[in-house]
Amino acid sequence: MKKSVIAATLAAALLLAGNAAAQIKIGLHAPQSGPAAADGKSSTIGAEIARDWINDKGGVLGQKLELVTYDDQNKPDQAVPIANKLIGQDKVMAAVSCSYSAPTRAAAAVFQQAHIPYVSAYGVHPDITKEGNWAFRGVQLGPPQGKGAAKFIADKFGKVKVAMVTMNNDFGQSIADGFKEEAPKLGLTIVKEYTFGLGERQFGPIVASVKADNPDVIYAIGYYFVGGPLVAQLRAGGLKQPIVGAQAFDSMKLMEIAKDAAESVYVVGGMDRGRKTPADFQPFLAEFKKRAGYDAEAVAANCYSSVMLVADAIKRAGSTDAAKIREALAAAKDFPMLTGPLRYFNSVGEIYSPLEVTQVKNGAFVGVGVIDEPSILAPPK
Amino acid sequence: MLFAELIVKGLVYGCMYAMMAVGLTLVYGLLRILHIAHAGVFALGAYMAVTVTNATGSLAFGFVIAAAVSAVAGIAIYRLAYQPILHHSAFVPMVVSIGLFIVMQEGFRLIFGAYGIAFDDNPWYVAHVDLAGISLTYVEIAMVVMSVVLLVGFGLFAGLTRAGIGWRATVTDPQMATSFGVDPVRVRYLNFLFGSALAGIAGGLVGLLNNYVEPTMGGAVSYKALAIVVLGGLGSVRGTLIASLVLGVVESFGAIYLADIFDRDAIGFLFLIVVLMVRPQGLLGRR
Amino acid sequence: MSAYIASLVSVIGINLILALGLNIITGFCGQVSLGHAAFYGLGAYTAAYLAKLGAPLPLTLLAGTAMAGAIGIVVGLTSLRVRHDFLAVTTMGIGFVFLGFVRKQKWLGGELGISGIPGPGLDAVPYALLIAAFAMAVAALSLWIKLSWMGFTFDAVADDEDAARTVGVNVSTYKLTAFGIGTALAGTAGGLYVYFARIILPDTFDFVQSIAVLTMVVIGGTGSVWGVFASTIALTLLPEVSRAAADYRLLIFGAMLMLVMRFSPGGLAGLVHRRRPA
Repeated sequence: MKKSVIAATLAAALLLAGNAAAQIKIGLHAPQSGPAAADGKSSTIGAEIARDWINDKGGVLGQKLELVTYDDQNKPDQAVPIANKLIGQDKVMAAVSCSYSAPTRAAAAVFQQAHIPYVSAYGVHPDITKEGNWAFRGVQLGPPQGKGAAKFIADKFGKVKVAMVTMNNDFGQSIADGFKEEAPKLGLTIVKEYTFGLGERQFGPIVASVKADNPDVIYAIGYYFVGGPLVAQLRAGGLKQPIVGAQAFDSMKLMEIAKDAAESVYVVGGMDRGRKTPADFQPFLAEFKKRAGYDAEAVAANCYSSVMLVADAIKRAGSTDAAKIREALAAAKDFPMLTGPLRYFNSVGEIYSPLEVTQVKNGAFVGVGVIDEPSILAPPK
Repeated sequence: MLFAELIVKGLVYGCMYAMMAVGLTLVYGLLRILHIAHAGVFALGAYMAVTVTNATGSLAFGFVIAAAVSAVAGIAIYRLAYQPILHHSAFVPMVVSIGLFIVMQEGFRLIFGAYGIAFDDNPWYVAHVDLAGISLTYVEIAMVVMSVVLLVGFGLFAGLTRAGIGWRATVTDPQMATSFGVDPVRVRYLNFLFGSALAGIAGGLVGLLNNYVEPTMGGAVSYKALAIVVLGGLGSVRGTLIASLVLGVVESFGAIYLADIFDRDAIGFLFLIVVLMVRPQGLLGRR
Repeated sequence: MSAYIASLVSVIGINLILALGLNIITGFCGQVSLGHAAFYGLGAYTAAYLAKLGAPLPLTLLAGTAMAGAIGIVVGLTSLRVRHDFLAVTTMGIGFVFLGFVRKQKWLGGELGISGIPGPGLDAVPYALLIAAFAMAVAALSLWIKLSWMGFTFDAVADDEDAARTVGVNVSTYKLTAFGIGTALAGTAGGLYVYFARIILPDTFDFVQSIAVLTMVVIGGTGSVWGVFASTIALTLLPEVSRAAADYRLLIFGAMLMLVMRFSPGGLAGLVHRRRPA
């Protein structure tokens, strides 16, 4: 019984292994089924665009690049066997997580032990990089993002009163922690912090209470699918204050849901869709829309850039030796990520990258500024 | 002022819970099944309302189709999923119901996409009126009006018409009702038809309220609706209505004043557990 | 044994302990629980918290087991108070309350959970074997209970509580025993999971997890130790062999649940034995 199961597993793995000529293998895991499937789908498409474009240009070190992709269902107990499988059976040279924090953190320990370089494309949990020096993060940590938002609000609106509306998960909490640390230093007053669950779509009580607080600015941390209803309901409640959203507001779905109510909302860590740099940004947006049928959001761009980053490191290493790839990754400087240039990785593999601030104008994300201050954005060690 | 607004918002959500929970109570009262797949019917109604409205441009038509498709789906669920296994212990239909809910949820994801969909044109969920300082959107007002009209209509039907009296008699004592010539099978169909149409309309309204319809939208609402049904005393329609409104208000306050200790989804269940410890039969249930 | 096989064995072992534990509550004693993941979480959080303080593995496992079992008995008390169907919704509620509480506790890491948990002090392969040994012990315990006097009494309670009471069975004691053993085992599974994943987040222990465990029990055949054993292994490996069909996995999962209940309410075991429907 058990033998046949193992045989079937191997057969399935072989089926997926595909092109025999491919030599450069990068492992990838993303949530492709279940409730988290939406981001998993976008991020996988983003990564595949990177693979195809690399191969169109002749691959890496003269060889074809292959992505070995598995569905982790957003579960740590799926991610650990997947990581072991990528290492032991698929023999990948490096791996990218296009998944959330829990599976990424669990897999990071496995890759660390096996000494395989690993990049988390958008998992924000602070501990992902703490296991050791083989893990890197291709996105700003939560606390710097929150500090950046505090900086933006203080610069733009002065020493104002802010009401926070925070989503209950690792993304929300870690950004909120950074904001709450930095805000008082910049003279901001946090009148109150409200929290809500990931599944929440009805914010009536929170809106009523924010109205009573009468803040100058509302800082909302959540995904676009909670951001959309939240923004619309704040406006429906008669609140006219500026709304500043966190990175995950960055999706065209925000406007599709909130329609006119999304107008003038700021996003700290968003993507200016009209930006001409880097050179592959506009082609990426077009190609993504063609493949997915909807507009690309930050997670897709993050995964595209993470695969590009790893391929670039292999090129610079000039070798498929894991230790050399790791060194090349650690030495990455001024690499053009779609979400903003990667200036450097710090000693624990955390990215330093400026935060772009966008605003919704006529139903599109338009750049209104960049936060690039090491004192605010420097990742913690 | 804040208190008044919290109560009003709580009552609006309570009306939505009521439209969901009444269907569940009807099914439970008659068949003793915990009809978890009711949440799938709710989401189905929402998807129908959005897609048909976007395709035809008529919101009214969208809602009529939503109610009709949901009603047919409800009847199909009874006929194909529940009827063949009614003779088993209550555990068996409950598990079937869970399976069915998973299938529906995944079906929506595969058909309509993992990303949710929105109404192309929905001015009513931001447009609002101010009543003594409390703002209510047109959709919120519609939610209250629709639930009152439909539930009062149902009450009149059950109390005044021949079919309604037959239905009540069947719930109270199926054997006695049958001996008086009421067809119990027809009553069951009627039950699923009405309860499911109501859930479908509620789904459409929630779609309007959030301007977002997604595969998993049934989950949280249905778990709370189950809590409400138990809170009201399983099978008691009046208890369910009261419990819906009470839970709406309790949650509304909890979301503001208990948020540092519990999240909103937990508050309803916490309330349920406390009530059950004091009154094991629920608010209006009989032992 | 490769590291990949070791990690699969670990996951299977943990799921076996969870499913066999729930089988004692729901299968043997007939008490429906939709909140098993809460006890899994209780064990995991207790073990992780103590492990961070430097407690050794045997102690953290024991504490996780004891904590889950103790709370389990308290929850079991509700089964004495409320009717059968109420119990399903109440236990579901326990799951939501547990999660809603843990999320908000800064000292338990809140939404960030607990990470940076020290390793078990064993390599992946020996640790997988340790988990497997625990799973075997739980299977043996289940068989022993089923064949003992206690098993017959559980059966009587599950079949007809009032009849059992008439023939002098102390129904309350037996229900609480079943809840105590089943939830304590979930706590053990939680403790073992902590050293395997090395991170715990609240969402790992959600309602979906409870349903996943219930599915293993139901498809195996509620009450059948071998049935649950086989179905747990099969369902855990399903994603491994069906990676190509990832998009349809949950759909197939739900359909299976429906079809098994429709045509063989006794699950896999029912297909083999063709016993009376439970």
